[in-house]
Amino acid sequence: MRPQALRLTRSAPPAPHPPRAMSTQLTLQAPLEVPPAEVTPYLERLWHDGLEGSTGAATFTLLVWDPAWLEQQLVRIGRVDGPITGLDRADVLDAAREIVTLVGLPPSTAPMDPRLAWAVGQQPGSHAATDLRGRTVESAISSLTPRRLITLAPTLDDGHPLETLVAAYCPLPEDGGTGGAACGDVVVLRGGMGAMKQGLGLLQSLVGNDLPCWVWWNSSLDEPPEMLEALAPPPRRLVIDTSLGDPRRCLEVLVDRIDRGQALNDLNWLRLRSWRESLAMVFDPPSRRDALGRVVQLDIDVEGEHPVKGLLLAAWIADRLGWHLVASESVAADVGHGIAAEFQRTDGATVRFRLMPVPVGVPKAHPGAIVGLRLICEPAGRPPLCVILCSESGGCMRLESGGMASMELAEEVVPLPEESEERELARLLGGGHDTTNPLLAAAAPLAAELLPSAAP
Amino acid sequence: MTTILTNPLRVGLRQERVISPQCIVIFGASGDLTHRKLIPALFELFRQRRLPSEFAVLGCARRPWSDEEFRQKMGDSLAEQVAEHPRAWDAFAQGLFYEPVDLQQPEHLVRLGTRLEAVDRLRATRGNRTFYLSVSPEFYGSGCRALAGAGLLADPERSRVVIEKPFGRDYASAQALNKVVQACAKESQVFRIDHYLGKETVQNILVLRFANTIFEPIWNRNYIANVQITAAETVGVEERAGYYESSGALRDMVQNHLTQILALTAMEPPGRFDPEAIRNEKAKVLQSAHLAREDEPWKCCVRGQYAAGGSRAQPLSGYRQEPGVNPNSTTETYVAMKVFIDNWRWQGVPFYLRTGKRLPKRLSEVVLTFREAPVHLFDAAGGAPTPNQLILRIQPDEGADIKFEVKAPGSGMRSRPVDMAFSYDESFGEPSDEGYVRLLADAMLGDPTLFTRSDEVEAAWRLYTPLLELIEEAPWQLPVHPYEARTWGPAASDNLLAEDGLIWRRP
Repeated sequence: MRPQALRLTRSAPPAPHPPRAMSTQLTLQAPLEVPPAEVTPYLERLWHDGLEGSTGAATFTLLVWDPAWLEQQLVRIGRVDGPITGLDRADVLDAAREIVTLVGLPPSTAPMDPRLAWAVGQQPGSHAATDLRGRTVESAISSLTPRRLITLAPTLDDGHPLETLVAAYCPLPEDGGTGGAACGDVVVLRGGMGAMKQGLGLLQSLVGNDLPCWVWWNSSLDEPPEMLEALAPPPRRLVIDTSLGDPRRCLEVLVDRIDRGQALNDLNWLRLRSWRESLAMVFDPPSRRDALGRVVQLDIDVEGEHPVKGLLLAAWIADRLGWHLVASESVAADVGHGIAAEFQRTDGATVRFRLMPVPVGVPKAHPGAIVGLRLICEPAGRPPLCVILCSESGGCMRLESGGMASMELAEEVVPLPEESEERELARLLGGGHDTTNPLLAAAAPLAAELLPSAAP
Repeated sequence: MTTILTNPLRVGLRQERVISPQCIVIFGASGDLTHRKLIPALFELFRQRRLPSEFAVLGCARRPWSDEEFRQKMGDSLAEQVAEHPRAWDAFAQGLFYEPVDLQQPEHLVRLGTRLEAVDRLRATRGNRTFYLSVSPEFYGSGCRALAGAGLLADPERSRVVIEKPFGRDYASAQALNKVVQACAKESQVFRIDHYLGKETVQNILVLRFANTIFEPIWNRNYIANVQITAAETVGVEERAGYYESSGALRDMVQNHLTQILALTAMEPPGRFDPEAIRNEKAKVLQSAHLAREDEPWKCCVRGQYAAGGSRAQPLSGYRQEPGVNPNSTTETYVAMKVFIDNWRWQGVPFYLRTGKRLPKRLSEVVLTFREAPVHLFDAAGGAPTPNQLILRIQPDEGADIKFEVKAPGSGMRSRPVDMAFSYDESFGEPSDEGYVRLLADAMLGDPTLFTRSDEVEAAWRLYTPLLELIEEAPWQLPVHPYEARTWGPAASDNLLAEDGLIWRRP
């Protein structure tokens, strides 16, 4: 089989609705299907003969676990049109929000909540669509010219045999391509879960050891752990999202991987950036610094019942201020359960912490988004200071109520991040580290400790 | 300044922009700038996790050092920081390499190319390279030619070159150097560094002007009477006599640092925050600037040279008595001048620039003095109302002050001036990054906003061409007035403003 070199060409977005980030999409010309056993020899021939004179970009390998269950299910029941892309799509989120109550889930359920994909999976439907996963690439990622982009695209049909698609590519020069020699190649492994396990055998030779390898687990952490284990052994750099999956499982994966010394990045942690920045900004004036040593109460409200993001925020604050966790328990809340904990400050005084789920009309895409934060400090010789941070998309009346008339009030609105998952990922890939961010590494175990072992 | 606790919540939040995997190649790696500024700045970026893991520094100079010797020497020069952060240094030092290179030897460039490929493979730096020419200015052109000749600047997306100041000695030489550099690389690859632009407070001029609505409407000839830009140093020539004798204050400070501040203060608002949009406006305003008396430049410029001074306890030598200085030197250590900008915004508003060594204080500031109130309704404590002033303090004690009149307490209606002050220390309490930290990061990010473009450099030189020609051809017309060390310059400088009924602000 004669190898074919392809070139990324600019084209209209494949979906009828534009992607959420409204960014330029680069679409590959259709990759060539080759038998699984032929993939590695084909690529060797491609670089040796077909692309003579080109060694490809000395960049990195990106391995993506991209089941896109929600998108696949919504396409299957006819709620959104194909093709299936695996990209952030506004129409998928809109359709997900519309269907939440129809499938019997609470209105606060976030569109990306894995329970929703499962519930949609129980609905009848058999619409089919072209599957372009792995072929459409966010330009922020393709401009980094990954040397090899491997996408594992499991299908709803468990019995779907393994298909392997291969192409060489280069972005257009204006998007960072060389304009001449090929930059890298794309490999798509598609099939049912059984086929995916079969495809694992190919990966070691495809990933190689010469270049850094990033693994983006673009799915729930509740999925079979053996797949995550197989795809992301250290020293591959792992990107996960701890907003997706059972909270305990999410925190276990986070802590376990950090303990194993793996470079771990958590998109849920990255989405905390504006909250951390807003809180730090309040205490930038040195006149307020001493109040940080006198915190007596911390309250965080989150959307729905996924506490991980709130716990990571609390754990980051506790770690930065040197608090020691004394006890943590589950408490009843208006909606589900909250978490109450007690910390000890460095001077021995007590800090009370509450994390409460609150119902929201239009939840954000990911479960457990922060609604608001309240921090009360009692600095010596001054009136107490109450800091309230509110999400720009909603109020935080619960935190603003009661007993603050005598306090100095510092209230800020926290902007919502505007970047898509792919753009966040591109930031990581563009300047990656082979170690975990030390702030995340310090906060993760504390967040896991904060999660009570059982509901009351 | 009082000791301020750091904000523990601020740690790790300065990572907004991510530098791509990168190899920075420093020519002149055995020189002073490398171990005093560049390596400390890179180590600071590393400690702040603003450098990726795929990062390398390849030091190049003529000395036959090994990688290990280079690491050792850099470690020695950063002894304090290394002792404070030994593990971070160990990790950082793994990315330090050294290659003996003479830029004039083509075969050395071939060897350098091979070595760079090896470093690329070893550190996965993806072929992204920033070449830093920290060499003697006469080698800037030939250095660029050598790099281009070896194909090392061929990829405009992945290679760039940073050129230290001074960029040329005058308009003609800057033009010639620009031609050479532009023949070797695209303008987008060339980063002409002026470390003054790395200062937070210099950048703040842009934010203050264009992120607020209260200043811009009055930032023009209708409200502003004059502008003073001062950069004062308390130090003398120190160990730089060799360089300074041939440059003087005009070339060393005015053509670059003061002119950049002038451009930021006077430029029009850019359409968007984009490197080219900003640099377009800076270039335009510099092209509109001219000396107040281009035909008789000696009437709008004063040169000075510090003489002995100080106190009995701490006597200070005069410039001509400094080691390495010609005892009959006519190099200026002080220069003051008056400039106009011919555009709708600034027509008729004088800009006074001054800089000098061995002045009483170390400070840089921009002072915008507003026009007087049209009618004086009130008695003023000082006889006449003090004009409003906006003072942008660039260093030290970075911040801004507004001076305005208020009613003096008492039964009458007398006015007196007061200050409303903003201080970086009081509001943020964190020391800003050193200028090189910001600028090196920007160069590696490929962001040229804080670097000077070819037309800016040429416009800056052209502005001072009448003075440079006069100094060259008829120096007696622009004599060097002696001034006592630790005073505010020669009396002639005061006269320059006195002619307009003004005085220099005494900070």
